[in-house]
Amino acid sequence: MATTTATLSVSSNVMTYPVTINKSMSMMKFQSCHGLEETSGLRTKKFTTTAATVVVEQDEFTSTKAAKVYMRNTSSDKAHFFYVAKHASAAAADTDAETIGRLHGGDWMLIPYLADVNITVAASSTDPVVLEYMVFGE
Amino acid sequence: MATTTATVSISSSDLQPGNTLSLNASSTIMQTGLTTGLELLDMGVGHLKEDSARDALAEATGTADTANWVYICNNATDDTFYIKVGIHETVIGNLGAGDWMWMPWNMGDSVAELNIEAEPTGVTIPYEYAIFKSTNTLPAST
Repeated sequence: MATTTATLSVSSNVMTYPVTINKSMSMMKFQSCHGLEETSGLRTKKFTTTAATVVVEQDEFTSTKAAKVYMRNTSSDKAHFFYVAKHASAAAADTDAETIGRLHGGDWMLIPYLADVNITVAASSTDPVVLEYMVFGE
Repeated sequence: MATTTATVSISSSDLQPGNTLSLNASSTIMQTGLTTGLELLDMGVGHLKEDSARDALAEATGTADTANWVYICNNATDDTFYIKVGIHETVIGNLGAGDWMWMPWNMGDSVAELNIEAEPTGVTIPYEYAIFKSTNTLPAST
């Protein structure tokens, strides 16, 4: 059994008092106390078009098991972003219920993933931007 | 200007044999205009009860296609208790006991609400959440 730990720290002065979130988790199999044992490995992909691209294929994993997706937009320019969506192949449009959100330069995300549909991304411009991502599964 | 910084560390010494995993990332989250930090925050704790349907943790009441960030943590201690997290009719994933998530949410359209649902049937799950928003519109009074 592998042990994979993810720790989150969020600090903010959005309130008049400090807001902090500190959480750590071990990535476990679905409804289990045993750790995830598979991974896609860390991948990087350079985008130079705005066309939607599948980066995580559902059939790499199993929808009845646990999976998590880490992504980071490696750009140092906040203006360069990716739309991230759960969709078989279509564009991750800006106004689409399947679109999850925007990953601006430097932003990262770590989400649970139900592997019933692919994950697509679409860059906001044709300027070169590199996406870093990794999937953890059972 | 409010400044909100999110940092993650992911590590494992045995997931990839012979190759220790150590990922670290940090980001200051900004409004869609890119130069101003997010200045709206909803946060809280609750107990989510399975009543056979998903519940809206937050409606997409802000401006469509903006930068917003969601933190949710499943505080259950029973390994079989999980929270199904989705946007409108799309299930994003299952958040297991003790798990947290950090996700962008662009409120793609007015029905792109953020949903949560306790599973399996009959369970009650303690959870906590925080949603950092670019914009928000309060519901009309009745």
